[in-house]
Amino acid sequence: MQSAEDTSTRRRVAKGPGSSGGFMSGSGYDTDTLLQYDDHDHKDGHSKLRPPIGGRVSSGRLHKPYPTPPTSISDFIHQNLEHLPPAIYTLLSCWTRFHKIGLADIVVWDEAHFGKFGSHYLKREFYFDVHPPLGKMLVALAGLLSGYDGNFEFKSGEKYPAAVPYVAMRVMMATFGVALVPLGWYTAVELGLSPWACHLVALMILCDVAWLCISRFILLDSMLLFFTFTTVFFLTKFHNQQYHSFSFDWWLWLALTGISIGCVTSVKWVGLFVTAVVGIYTIEDLWDKLGDLRMSTRNQLRHWSARILCLIILPILVYMASFKLHFLILNHTGPGDAQMSSLFQAHLVGNDFWKNPLEVAYGSKITLKNMGWGGGLLHSHVQTYPSGSNQQQVTCYHYKDDNNHWLVLPRWNEPAYNPNDELRFVKDGDVVRLQHPPTTRNLHSHPIPAPIAKSNYEVSCYGNSTVGDVQDHWVIEIVDDIRQGKKDNVNRIRSLTTRIRLRHDILGCYLSAANKVLPQWGFKQIEVSCVKESDPDDIHTYWNVESHWNDRLPPGDVKHYKSPFLRDFWHLNVAMMTSNNALIPDPDKDDILASHPTDWPWLRLGLRMCGWGDHQPKYYLLGTPLVWWGGALSLIVFVMLLGTYLVRWQRRYVDMDATGWAHFLYVGKVAFYGWFLHYAPFFIMGRVTYLHHYLPTLYFSVLMFGHVIDHCVFSARWKEKTKRVVFGVATFAIVANFWWFRGMAWGIEGPVNEYWGLQWRKVSYFRL
Amino acid sequence: MASPGKIRNRKPFSTTRSDSYDQDDEDHVHAVYQRPTARSAFEQALDTPKASAAVVGVLTALAFALRFYKINHPDQVVFDEVHFGKFASYYILRQYYFDVHPPFAKLLFGLAGWFVGFDGHFTFDNIGDSYTENHVPYVGMRALPAILGSLTIPIVYAIMKETGHSTVIAAFSACIVLFDNAHVAQSRLILLDATLIFFMSLTIYSYIRFRKLRYWEFSVEWWSWLIATGFFMACAWGSKVNGILTVLTIGVAVLIDLWDILDIKKGHTLEHFWKHFLARALGLIVVPFIIYLSFFYVHFAVLTYSGPGDSFMSPAFQETLIGNELLMHSQELHYYDVITMKHRDTKVFLHSHPDRYPLQYDDGRISSQGQQVTGYGYEDANNHWQIIPTKALPEAGRGRVVQHEDTIQLLHMNTQTLLLTHDVASPLMPTNQEFTTWPKDDHSRHNDTLFYLDLIDGNAGDAWKSKSGHFRLIHVPTKVSMWTHTKQLPEWAFKQQEINGNKNAMEKSATWYVDEIVSTDGNNIDLAEINTPNEPKKLGFFRKFGELQLLMLQHNAGLTASHPYASSPINWPFLISGISFWTENDTQKQIYLIGNAVGWAICVIFIAIYVGIIGADVVARRRDIEAIPEHIRNRLWNSAGFFLLIWAVHYLPFFLMSRQLFIHHYLPSHLASALLAGSVLNFILSDTINFPISVAGRRTHMRPSEFADLGAKGPVVVGVFAVIMFAVFVFMAPLTFGTPGLDGDAVNSKRLLSSWTLHFAAKNT
Repeated sequence: MQSAEDTSTRRRVAKGPGSSGGFMSGSGYDTDTLLQYDDHDHKDGHSKLRPPIGGRVSSGRLHKPYPTPPTSISDFIHQNLEHLPPAIYTLLSCWTRFHKIGLADIVVWDEAHFGKFGSHYLKREFYFDVHPPLGKMLVALAGLLSGYDGNFEFKSGEKYPAAVPYVAMRVMMATFGVALVPLGWYTAVELGLSPWACHLVALMILCDVAWLCISRFILLDSMLLFFTFTTVFFLTKFHNQQYHSFSFDWWLWLALTGISIGCVTSVKWVGLFVTAVVGIYTIEDLWDKLGDLRMSTRNQLRHWSARILCLIILPILVYMASFKLHFLILNHTGPGDAQMSSLFQAHLVGNDFWKNPLEVAYGSKITLKNMGWGGGLLHSHVQTYPSGSNQQQVTCYHYKDDNNHWLVLPRWNEPAYNPNDELRFVKDGDVVRLQHPPTTRNLHSHPIPAPIAKSNYEVSCYGNSTVGDVQDHWVIEIVDDIRQGKKDNVNRIRSLTTRIRLRHDILGCYLSAANKVLPQWGFKQIEVSCVKESDPDDIHTYWNVESHWNDRLPPGDVKHYKSPFLRDFWHLNVAMMTSNNALIPDPDKDDILASHPTDWPWLRLGLRMCGWGDHQPKYYLLGTPLVWWGGALSLIVFVMLLGTYLVRWQRRYVDMDATGWAHFLYVGKVAFYGWFLHYAPFFIMGRVTYLHHYLPTLYFSVLMFGHVIDHCVFSARWKEKTKRVVFGVATFAIVANFWWFRGMAWGIEGPVNEYWGLQWRKVSYFRL
Repeated sequence: MASPGKIRNRKPFSTTRSDSYDQDDEDHVHAVYQRPTARSAFEQALDTPKASAAVVGVLTALAFALRFYKINHPDQVVFDEVHFGKFASYYILRQYYFDVHPPFAKLLFGLAGWFVGFDGHFTFDNIGDSYTENHVPYVGMRALPAILGSLTIPIVYAIMKETGHSTVIAAFSACIVLFDNAHVAQSRLILLDATLIFFMSLTIYSYIRFRKLRYWEFSVEWWSWLIATGFFMACAWGSKVNGILTVLTIGVAVLIDLWDILDIKKGHTLEHFWKHFLARALGLIVVPFIIYLSFFYVHFAVLTYSGPGDSFMSPAFQETLIGNELLMHSQELHYYDVITMKHRDTKVFLHSHPDRYPLQYDDGRISSQGQQVTGYGYEDANNHWQIIPTKALPEAGRGRVVQHEDTIQLLHMNTQTLLLTHDVASPLMPTNQEFTTWPKDDHSRHNDTLFYLDLIDGNAGDAWKSKSGHFRLIHVPTKVSMWTHTKQLPEWAFKQQEINGNKNAMEKSATWYVDEIVSTDGNNIDLAEINTPNEPKKLGFFRKFGELQLLMLQHNAGLTASHPYASSPINWPFLISGISFWTENDTQKQIYLIGNAVGWAICVIFIAIYVGIIGADVVARRRDIEAIPEHIRNRLWNSAGFFLLIWAVHYLPFFLMSRQLFIHHYLPSHLASALLAGSVLNFILSDTINFPISVAGRRTHMRPSEFADLGAKGPVVVGVFAVIMFAVFVFMAPLTFGTPGLDGDAVNSKRLLSSWTLHFAAKNT
């Protein structure tokens, strides 16, 4: 058993009064609490977790006194010498990121999507995508700055015409990738790692081919990674202000953390994972504060409200601002119109709803829009249900199409509609039949369970223009009208503004579309069913008439309606969520690009980013094996180390002093939580996963690698020479490994089978 | 206990404790303190062994009454009796079957059936099949879960008594289970859950007894309860897969316990810790595992005949069963035999016909225009292939037998062409190779017609056998294996299945077997062996066990088909929906599995209260406010905390499972929540509790003892509650017992939540 005095020399000791404690100090202990003996026989987990009162334990970067202002140039250089290595790494990073960036003059991989979205911004056409808009707006900005006019379609694999400045755009995207390296360096510094470890972390970020490769194209990932890195960096900065609460720096780093969270979530929703890391850090921090009985209630409240303001409200504002900007820029109609509510569409430039006759009459051809958040247009197509009645499918669809059209006709027991009769408007309580003109079938429901929502009745299309039964009859119930107000004031159904419900005349159920996605046989469209329970507030049963054609009626000079921002914002987010949920793996399709989360840490396979022809540069998204394997290994080593230390702690062996223990836990937790929260959710998510989903996760395993090697080698009691040898070997291995695999990111030219040396594991798709 | 040098702060701590007692302003805490006679008259009266025995006697009698009431109704197959009744009859007939659940509970059913004279000749095919018409002694079989379900009640009672709760509280917990419609419905039918719950509660009981003996470590009683815990745990696990959660619960509790023993403050040496560790490893790992294995040993020993489960197993396994088809008809293949081959997973024959692949497919890709090779589901002369050797053969004898790792060619009999594959994309999957045939006299493509025979689990020199010899056919030059999938080819191939070359040569689903030998080569002289009856082969128990265990896990995860009454775990505690077990249209009778609404509501509320109390306590203590006296908190954390652990471990893992889930998976958790509800009720009604409850050891520091005292309010509250529970139970009883029939309005009145999908409901107008 070692004594405390003995080990205090082993690890760093906080020197001077300025050194300060960390958020994990609760689990740290000093010798007083440590030897406290407790005679209780029963368990009492709490007395152990009490923080040592008054102990300020530094878990982040060791505090250094501020230097005096430089008086000479050599003073200045001397004081800023520490910034030299990151500057060199940044230059190197520029070289790796920009080297041969224009080699592939074709649209590579998802440039097809994100380049296209960028064009939509430049042309200001409304589009729909599952990702939030910030990243794509930055792509558009890059296009704008480099003089791109937005007229290229970005078809996958197509050659870029001369007019598209794709190199400039890629360089701008790659700049985000360049910034990863200095960010990694400074984060490691702020985490309090030794200079050796900082060098290794920076080198690993610099030399990873996957990060390099993904940064070199017009993709969102470089921005996602950039904002993930900044979030962690700002968090560590903030952590080091721990004992300077409410100082300017403290507020600055806290607010920047919040803004960074907002940005990362506005690029991709994956950013929520890093938000969760910040969340856990904050909860633990506040829990410690709660235990500090000497802190005044006022200060407690200030701490709480500062977090709520900067880490909840601020990010939400950033996120919403990106959407506001999105709506402001995209003010013309485009391919994504039908995803939005009818009112929103009405104010887009180029929209033709103003031609709609105002009030719906028998014989009108209409489209019906579901008014639930993210609702689509009532749709039917010739394909039939594979189960249930096996009749023709009825779905909700988010794109404009002739199959969305419906004819309003009188019921079967009334005289058929005659265009020469007097015009009859549809009123509240009218029983109508809705005919689907492309197939002439009628909207129908019957007591057969719907395919997904089994407690509801199935809705199908049945019969034709002469064959049908009473199950085709639907009662129109007006809910209200946005312009005319309550139901009592509304006589006729107006397009866009009148909200109606459709009740089945026989079954009494209501036509509903509740964002449930049909399987592949329904083309991942939204299920439409008939819900038995009448809930008057269920917006999924609300519909409005969107497009309306009737030659016998004049165009209803429809004014531009206001659609409130918050409503559009929420609608779009629900629609994004629904489409995201539809991205489930298709068992019938053998998607060779997809991979399972278990394939990632050990880099079982990579991802082909372009065609594999002999005469084109080929890009293969695959990490530098040593970086990935080292990161994954360090996570295992950390967990084992922690277990060993805890067991030894339970037996009162003193391995580290309070500062060392707090530092070990603090860095370990940031890295481990970060890795775990970026990795585990992919197992639970039903959606299809790809290798590049692991790239933010990898950052935390690299930090862990730096931490573990720092703990075991650079900050441990080894001879200086040993440390130097370890560092030298690690550096050489990483750089050499990068050089070996550089072609994956810079482009492999010539037949791929000549590159047999790149196949380190039996991946099935690298060589063919 | 502790080495003296390490004890420092003993004194300050004992003062803190008495301080907290003093701060308590409820006088009767002191009154009860060490003076059992100072308790209220009710409490004293009920606490005597006689009164306790009387209470438990009444509860048990009631349990038997409720579970046996009209147990003969309905005299039809109900819900999963379809499965578990059938399995019982397989045991009696000794036919091999396959199921995802371990065999213990089903063995008990088999035993019960055999005991009451069931001959096993009823197949339990459909829900609603009549027992009386088929002379099935079903009442005897249903009596088994009914007895176990009834005996669960006294165990629940005993658990509560053992954890230091007074008689009324124990009765309260027991009542929640006793009057629960779901528990009753589940116990009076041939289903596994009653057995599982019975053994789960016994495990909890034994573990608590074991824990209470912790100052008598390594004594005979200590060992007995430890082994008992292990034994019952194995029984729970052996009854149903969900029983693994009971094992997990005990595992977590033991880890916490061991962590405590490791604590140096206890003053134990490391050797002492290892002794504890090994004792638990023996009692809770080795013993349960041996018992679990023994269930399977009995299972295999009983089921020696071929049955419906054969086809799930590997050929080696199947050949151990008497009367198995493989065993009867499996024979060695010789060169020049004409055979038909079937794909193991999709059961199609390897087929070819003179039609050719179209030159260009719809997506613009080009084919070789070779003869089509497809998968065809029916017997046909075009399924016949002859095995052609690629080496010199002896005139006769063993040399003509086809062996593992031989390179062969396959000749299509009708068109006299050889099977071939080459680097041309297959019609449906651009990543896979096209299969076609080539005239046998044209030797220009000889190399492309060579296939390597890879028998699954084969050893060098093994003969290729029909039926049992599962194999992969790997193309020699390109290393693809012959594979098929369920996708149909277009009209030009008559919608037959596509055959292609899978680049993963070791692909599991690329497994084929020889279905039939159409004709044999005349040179065969050992044809005689075909007619000799084959003796069943022997296979080691552990190989059989390993294979079955793996299959059970795979199939359990694969039960993802949707079911109209499946529900997601979040709905369970709130009793959102039940399961329709059985209906009879003429009399409008139905059995609907649903819990006692009042009991379940109380359980949920009390869980919420408990979590609230614990949360508030943690926060308060963070602010250095000691809101709850030490010994009460101790009990809240340790006893009630253990109940919460049981509840959580038996409930939360279901959220991670993607298989189909039903509300009856919640019943073990519901029992745990009943225990927790008792603890919380005690906390609400009184500040007292029986303390200490552990048996003091020789050197245990004596502590002031205390006795639970609920006063008069205890019996009153519990009494009122029991009456309400019983009333609700009776109200819901027609859905539980399936009799009497209900008219539409009565059904509507029993539909307490609109989400309950009862049958025969009157139309809402």
